[in-house]
Amino acid sequence: MKKWSNFDYIDFYVQKMNEDPVNYFEQHKEFINAQIKGSNSLFSNMFKDGDFKIQAREYLRNRGILK
Amino acid sequence: MSKAYSVEDDVIVINRDLNELDLFVKDFLDVLSKHCDYLVVSGYVSICTGRARGTEDIDVLFPLLSEPYFSKLFNDLKVNSFWCYQGDQIKDIFPYIRDGLNIRFAKINRVLPNIELIPVIEVKKAQYFELKHPQRIRIKDFEFKIPPVEFEILYKEIRLASPKDFEDASHLRKMFSDILSEDKFKKYKSIIEENEKVV
Repeated sequence: MKKWSNFDYIDFYVQKMNEDPVNYFEQHKEFINAQIKGSNSLFSNMFKDGDFKIQAREYLRNRGILK
Repeated sequence: MSKAYSVEDDVIVINRDLNELDLFVKDFLDVLSKHCDYLVVSGYVSICTGRARGTEDIDVLFPLLSEPYFSKLFNDLKVNSFWCYQGDQIKDIFPYIRDGLNIRFAKINRVLPNIELIPVIEVKKAQYFELKHPQRIRIKDFEFKIPPVEFEILYKEIRLASPKDFEDASHLRKMFSDILSEDKFKKYKSIIEENEKVV
């Protein structure tokens, strides 16, 4: 059985979106919202003690996102 | 049965509810659009049209502002619960903008998602062109500006060209296959390729 590439998945998802957009977009919304909820929870716990911005900037510098 | 999208008076209408990412972008654009022009580009264009992937940042172009105008925008964003990764004072932030560097904003007490705000000047020909030739798109009551879809596809394929960008471009090609224009592809390709020579 052929292994699906990312492009195969893209074709598949667009096909599903066109066949049943209501159901597709419901799942899409759940996926996006879950990602945001997860990242909020992660950083809230990580920086719960002390000043959020100071700790966040330190983290971002260490990750190379902030110079 | 409803379709995934329609086009009404040149506005692309995506037939879905708003999600948390849309609401975050809407909050930011509600402030930004009071101060200057803007264009939402890159990953969010694909995601808001149904691409099934996550993202950490939303790229937004805006015209380079002088310090007094940028200061008003910056303060308005702070009043509306955004914080800037690069600093809290205008004296620390404006040098980034003046030098053409991007800055990032998130909601207070959050790191992600963030807006990557990208200053555009006329010599950045491709970005300047798309900023001046927007396509309007609407999701429920949230209407905002993106590049022409053909331009966004080509910019991802020619200029950005990472695996993720090719995948986003593929999504847009499939999603909007019945409205894409070959004439526009030809016109925009020359603009982006010309910009490549400059950059």
